Amino acid sequence: MTTYYRQHPGLRLTGVEDEGIVLHLDTRRYFSVNETGLLILDALRNPQSAEQLVGVLLERYNVTAEFARDCVAQFLTSCQDSELVVQNDAA
Amino acid sequence: MPVILDIAIGEPAHVAGDGAVFRQPGVAIHYGAPDRPGVVCVQWEAARAHATLEPGSTTAQVTLSRAAVRRLDECTRVFLNAVLILVLRRAGWHHLHGGIVLDPDGRGWLIAGDQGAGKSTTTALLATSGWRVGTDDMVFVGWGTEARVAVAAARTPIALRERVTPRFRAHGVLAPHRKKIVYWPEELGSRWIDRIEPDIIAFVSAGLDRTTRAAPLTAREATARLIRSSAWVMLEPALAQGHLDLLGRLARQARSFRIRLAEDLFNSPGRLQELTA
Repeated sequence: MTTYYRQHPGLRLTGVEDEGIVLHLDTRRYFSVNETGLLILDALRNPQSAEQLVGVLLERYNVTAEFARDCVAQFLTSCQDSELVVQNDAA
Repeated sequence: MPVILDIAIGEPAHVAGDGAVFRQPGVAIHYGAPDRPGVVCVQWEAARAHATLEPGSTTAQVTLSRAAVRRLDECTRVFLNAVLILVLRRAGWHHLHGGIVLDPDGRGWLIAGDQGAGKSTTTALLATSGWRVGTDDMVFVGWGTEARVAVAAARTPIALRERVTPRFRAHGVLAPHRKKIVYWPEELGSRWIDRIEPDIIAFVSAGLDRTTRAAPLTAREATARLIRSSAWVMLEPALAQGHLDLLGRLARQARSFRIRLAEDLFNSPGRLQELTA
């Protein structure tokens, strides 16, 4: 079964000079994310699998699939630790 | 857009439990029951008073108990002020803890910083030096002209701690509830200004150096600091995105600086202009 991820419903994002600020209304915390993080979080407005997110990065950046996969995996792990993304089993 | 506080005197509703989503000293803010999404209730805890705001409405239905009416000054300052902040937010004006001034070159400044950082002293010094002053404490951020962000001042006097007041020639008035001496900008030789479109954002803090220093901030750093000064952004999910976008736009519109204040500012308040030229 493929795992899908999406933004926590309490998130609000704004882009600032290619970077982003993320508010988490439930935990009352805010975060800074870089350009890549903003791109991934923006894509997660709709449920996406890790592989779909890799595709999002490959479409924007000239990087290898392996590098993009590592980026996505690391970012999703840190986002889950901070409750910025939630997991659901079906898209 | 008109905003209305529709006030009645009677028996305020009581919101039970500890489910407050936001608290200020003496004021608890609750979201409505699950069957009334978007409704916000505000309760004053010192004497019974209650306000309800329906989703999207810029009218607050307020009920004050007789006990609250007997403490009307405190009720206005603490409770009705919180209600007003929520109502203005629905009209597109978002509270921020800071001051505004206009320098002699016509540049608008937003002065932000933590409590005790020196916002009021700086504002008072600038008032004595030919700058126009809006407020030192409470402003509202909203859309101005041509997609620029405007910051409007609440008409409140500048409040200074007693230890710095000997530096000012004017005689202020003691505000006992704040334990501070308050001055209207005009009493310090300034003219009031109701709003600006900021060109500069100064995040001030009190330093121990001999000279005042400034360091530029990126727009991202400035946005993060603005969020700290505008805590209501975390409230009411339907309004949070618009509020956050305004703060981000403001941080892109203005040049931002972290400013460590020092004694030299008392002799040359205009140094702030030099540091940000």
